Amino acid sequence: MGKGYRQAPGKKGKSRTDGKRIAGKQDFGVPGSGGSNPYSNLQDIDRIPASQGGQLEQPRGPHVHDPHITGQTIGKSTPLVDSRWKVTGQAEYGDDIRLPNELFGKILRSPHHYARINSIDTSAAEALPGVKAVATGMDSVNRFGVLPVTKDEHAMAQEKVRHVGDLVACVAADSEEAAIEALSLIKVDYEVLEAIHDMEDGLLDSKDPIHDRGKYHIGDSNVQKRVFQQFGHTDAMRQAKYQSKSDWSFAGLHHGFTEPHAVVAHWDPNGRLQLYTPQQVPHYVHRALSSVLDIPMHQINVIRTFVGGGFGGKSDPFPHEMCAAILSRKSGRPVRINFDREEVYWVNRGRHPSRIQMEVFADEKGRIAGIETDALIDGGGFASFGHVTTYYNGVLHTSPYEIGGFHYTGARVWTNKPASGAMRGHGAVNSRCAVEVAIDDVCEQMGVDPMTFRLANLLPPHSRTITGFRITSTGMRECLDEVRKQSDWDDKFRKLPFGRGIGVGCGFFISGSGLPIHWDPENFPHATVHLQCDMDGGVTVHTGAADIGQGSDTAVAQAVSEVLALPLDMIRIRSRESDTAPVDLGSYSSRVTFMNCNAAIRAAIEMRDKVLKAAWEITGYHPDSLVLGDRRIYYKRDPAIGISWLEAVHKAQADTGSLISSGAYRTPPMGGIHKGAAAGLAPAYSFSAYVAEVEVDPETGFVRIIKAWAAHDCGKALNPLAVEGQIIGSCHMGMGQVLSEEMRYGRTGHLLNPDLLDYKIMSVHEMPEVVPIIVESNDPEGPFGAKEAGEGPLLPILPAVVNAIYDAIGVRINELPVSPDRLHSRIEKKCRKMKIDDPMDLPNPKFEPAPLQDELARRAEEHSERDLQRDLLKDRSAYVNGVLFGFDPDLPLHEQSEGWRESVTPTPEDLADDSKRAARAWNHVERRYRGENA
Amino acid sequence: MKTPPFKFHRPRSIEEAVSIASELKNNQKTFDWISGGTDLLPNYKWHINPKQHVISLAKIAEMKNLDSHHIGAMVNLHELENGPNHPLIRKAAGTIASTLIRRSGTVGGNLCLDTRCFWFNQTEDWRRSIDWCHKCDCDTDADCRVIPNQNTLCVATYQGDLAPCLMVLGARIHLAGPEGKRSMNLDEFYALDGMKRNVLEIGEFVTHVSLPIESDELEGDYQKLRLRESWDFPEAGVAASWKRNDSGIEQLYVATTACESIPRLHSEEANEALNGWNGQESAKILAEKIRKAVKPVNNTYFPPAYRRKMLRVLTKRALAGSWSDE
Repeated sequence: MGKGYRQAPGKKGKSRTDGKRIAGKQDFGVPGSGGSNPYSNLQDIDRIPASQGGQLEQPRGPHVHDPHITGQTIGKSTPLVDSRWKVTGQAEYGDDIRLPNELFGKILRSPHHYARINSIDTSAAEALPGVKAVATGMDSVNRFGVLPVTKDEHAMAQEKVRHVGDLVACVAADSEEAAIEALSLIKVDYEVLEAIHDMEDGLLDSKDPIHDRGKYHIGDSNVQKRVFQQFGHTDAMRQAKYQSKSDWSFAGLHHGFTEPHAVVAHWDPNGRLQLYTPQQVPHYVHRALSSVLDIPMHQINVIRTFVGGGFGGKSDPFPHEMCAAILSRKSGRPVRINFDREEVYWVNRGRHPSRIQMEVFADEKGRIAGIETDALIDGGGFASFGHVTTYYNGVLHTSPYEIGGFHYTGARVWTNKPASGAMRGHGAVNSRCAVEVAIDDVCEQMGVDPMTFRLANLLPPHSRTITGFRITSTGMRECLDEVRKQSDWDDKFRKLPFGRGIGVGCGFFISGSGLPIHWDPENFPHATVHLQCDMDGGVTVHTGAADIGQGSDTAVAQAVSEVLALPLDMIRIRSRESDTAPVDLGSYSSRVTFMNCNAAIRAAIEMRDKVLKAAWEITGYHPDSLVLGDRRIYYKRDPAIGISWLEAVHKAQADTGSLISSGAYRTPPMGGIHKGAAAGLAPAYSFSAYVAEVEVDPETGFVRIIKAWAAHDCGKALNPLAVEGQIIGSCHMGMGQVLSEEMRYGRTGHLLNPDLLDYKIMSVHEMPEVVPIIVESNDPEGPFGAKEAGEGPLLPILPAVVNAIYDAIGVRINELPVSPDRLHSRIEKKCRKMKIDDPMDLPNPKFEPAPLQDELARRAEEHSERDLQRDLLKDRSAYVNGVLFGFDPDLPLHEQSEGWRESVTPTPEDLADDSKRAARAWNHVERRYRGENA
Repeated sequence: MKTPPFKFHRPRSIEEAVSIASELKNNQKTFDWISGGTDLLPNYKWHINPKQHVISLAKIAEMKNLDSHHIGAMVNLHELENGPNHPLIRKAAGTIASTLIRRSGTVGGNLCLDTRCFWFNQTEDWRRSIDWCHKCDCDTDADCRVIPNQNTLCVATYQGDLAPCLMVLGARIHLAGPEGKRSMNLDEFYALDGMKRNVLEIGEFVTHVSLPIESDELEGDYQKLRLRESWDFPEAGVAASWKRNDSGIEQLYVATTACESIPRLHSEEANEALNGWNGQESAKILAEKIRKAVKPVNNTYFPPAYRRKMLRVLTKRALAGSWSDE
């Protein structure tokens, strides 16, 4: 115990160490009442759970991080820590990087959809004054791709170009003009091949498949990935009384982020590559660069600049990043490549154009007897994330409902278009829209309120879905209750005047992929965070999590600040450079808050332990009886006894110098063992329910969204301001997809609208009021109970709007976007069918409740009680999908019923329905090498 | 995207502008006029028919005059929206593009707007991938991509909003050029062909638009079709004006835009409808006639069949004020 650190007033030397200052009764006030430190604030006990001595009512069961809540920042609306940099224009985005002596890089792109390159002559370009380097596909022949199983990209075309805009060659020159002129001097001899534009053609055998991939070639077709999954009573479901069948077509989408891609590559004087790029997954770029450039990873430093929007569109390693590095290596100077907007569309990686056949079955008891889905998705020229997307189109709509059976056939094909990839709500959005609209249709047939039907068919907390996903917390019921109440659903559903309508939709999304892409979860954690605290008392956080505007820097700062009870401005984030950051797998699959904050909490706890140990030495009170308040550490029972944070930190540093700590997070073992079981597996899932109210002009087909009520279960809102921002932003993006956004390909297969004028992102005029409703289910595993809020909130708005359109004018849509011309033709069709001249005379849909309605309402009531008991862990019995159908959750389901299936390899009977598109992918025999005998 | 270099001229009077143009013309130099630049500069950036010389009209003060019956060509759309003119003009001006663009875009520029087409308003790389098109063929004699196998007519679409409104108010347009000044009714100004677009000769430009005093007695409305309420060009537009008398209306003018290479005044159809006008019923018949008279092609955002059908709806809505008591 050192001298001079003691702060207990009026005491000298030794005193009692048993935790009692004065024997007898005394009112000690609330924890953190400031003690003798005038700079210390009252601790915010409203935000400390009741179980920890605070006043925050615990809405759901206990949570693992509760003891570390200090009431500092969690749950308080906080502007993002980098927001001042952005609003004052001082944030450096990709295009703002300027290095001395840099060159302009430009890319020569293919004018053909599909062609073989016979020769490239770059001599004239190289001879042009000002040109410093010219590169072609021959400068790097190594393949890369975001998924290790589907590496099918090169820096530049090797022998074939696969879509208009595919990279052929690149140049670096002193000026942009010289670079542009040099491109025009490169002579390429193409042999044009027959291109595929329609995704269904991709299922057929082709003379020249777009990719010739050694193993896993599916016949001579362009099928990149096919998935089959069958669970439950698939025979029984097809006999169900109520059936809804629809054939959907979804246009491809682009993320429409503000910042076009930009990259600067620089081989520094030490011979290391410094790459500046706005990336969501710097680590994968790091890996891809290493293999493309044939140099070890330690010679590369990937520096993430500020990212002007990603939404999944900056989560692949990109060929232009490789080009910049190659040009820089050749020229010996920094090379910058900035994209025009049109190039952004050519790189694409947006939402897959899809054709989805969706069948939903419901039995006479108002249960979902099954879902049968066939999804054919158009991958464009490259694999990108497509392997995963193919799974996600199926598995992510098996919840939040309890279903009797699930039959999924999915296939992704290569076509001669810009590659599709991951986009906010990856793979889940389109099929979610289809299934939610089908549920609405089934309810219409049954004569029940779709809201009641959903409430009576939800999976409870702590349960398992039909495909084996582990559901921990779910706030689905509360989401539905909230939007029902706030939107006046009961007074509006089927009661609004003609032309006005209201609709509901639900969503379900992963909160971090359980199986990381480039990693071995057996050996390595998903996320790692390092903390460092020096003499100044501030804490520096080293993390590789890429802040792409979603606020991951803020979230991780909040997590550290919360555990250490430090104000946010004492936490500094260093997340930009791969040299200083521990490896993070990237900002995708809504994993960052969940995994990175979990790692940060562990690191902070380790640091807290060190500091508390020092405080123990000074004050003599055991760490268990010490409390962290605002920059202060004090005795639990008498806040007046304590020391400042700085004193404790200095003490802790006495022998070791700077304090450091490290934390990591790894998901627990979860899920089934079938092939593909890991796809869609996540440590937690987010849930959401939206209601949208729309106004439809039956004469023109224009739809205007009047208002949307958006309830999202994010577990715990670490920063409600950011969560609300994500909800509203997701709504904007989802509304764009449902009403106006599409990548439109003309009759010649050319992308007609690679610009922001004709790619119709909703403007402020079209954006309605969105009422964000945050539901907190306090996930047992999430950081402070949090789950994702970045992607899931997008899903429900699409079906909510489509269902609302039906409520308004009685017309069902199966094509997105619902542009006025499409809706108008549906209205005309309906008028013709009903022999009505004026669309204003169409009948307004009515709702007459069937007897089943009351039965379902009762069941919803019972389930509500069941869920509460399970939530509070009062009911700890096992629950798996199937209990609603009378199964015993403790026995394997297939042992209880002969009809129960669990298979991922189709039999010929499973594929008997030849109207299904993706199922046709199984007409081909898979072989190791093309050309061999199968 | 890099704007190709050009020589920039800034005359301070109409006479000086004409003399610069004459000189360039005599020296066989190509040039463009620029007023607000919101139409021309994006095209230049995309290397769509750039010229070696550009003559700006921005410094010519007299072209900025604005009063109730005289609209200078250099009046910007924002000023027009808030100007002393006929309410129909103000309404139409207020719907053009976005506030930012209206602050730069001018009346003259809007009237002389270049025609637009999916196959034309694209970057150089994009147009190379379709092997160019008739309107910007880069010396390849490329065919029209909208209607193939004819390379005589360009069917790009005129998507200006002001022209139909000025037409139904009987506006006259005034031009100046090396051959002197001339003026004509606005509907005679436009000439069918997406490339030629209007009667302007090389070196000639629009100085102002004038409206007859009688136009004050007309009421009118303008209805346009577009997906978003901001930025988007009209996909179809109908302007109508009428003069009320005790028993109904005694004059009726209807003009359409954004469906063909030129805006069009439908005098014949309007006169037929005026004969025995009985409000809603006649409007319906007229609307159907307008739909039949206009033939859009597939080169803008909405499909042509839909745009034609919407012309019918827009016409009805534009005329709705003629029988209501507002």
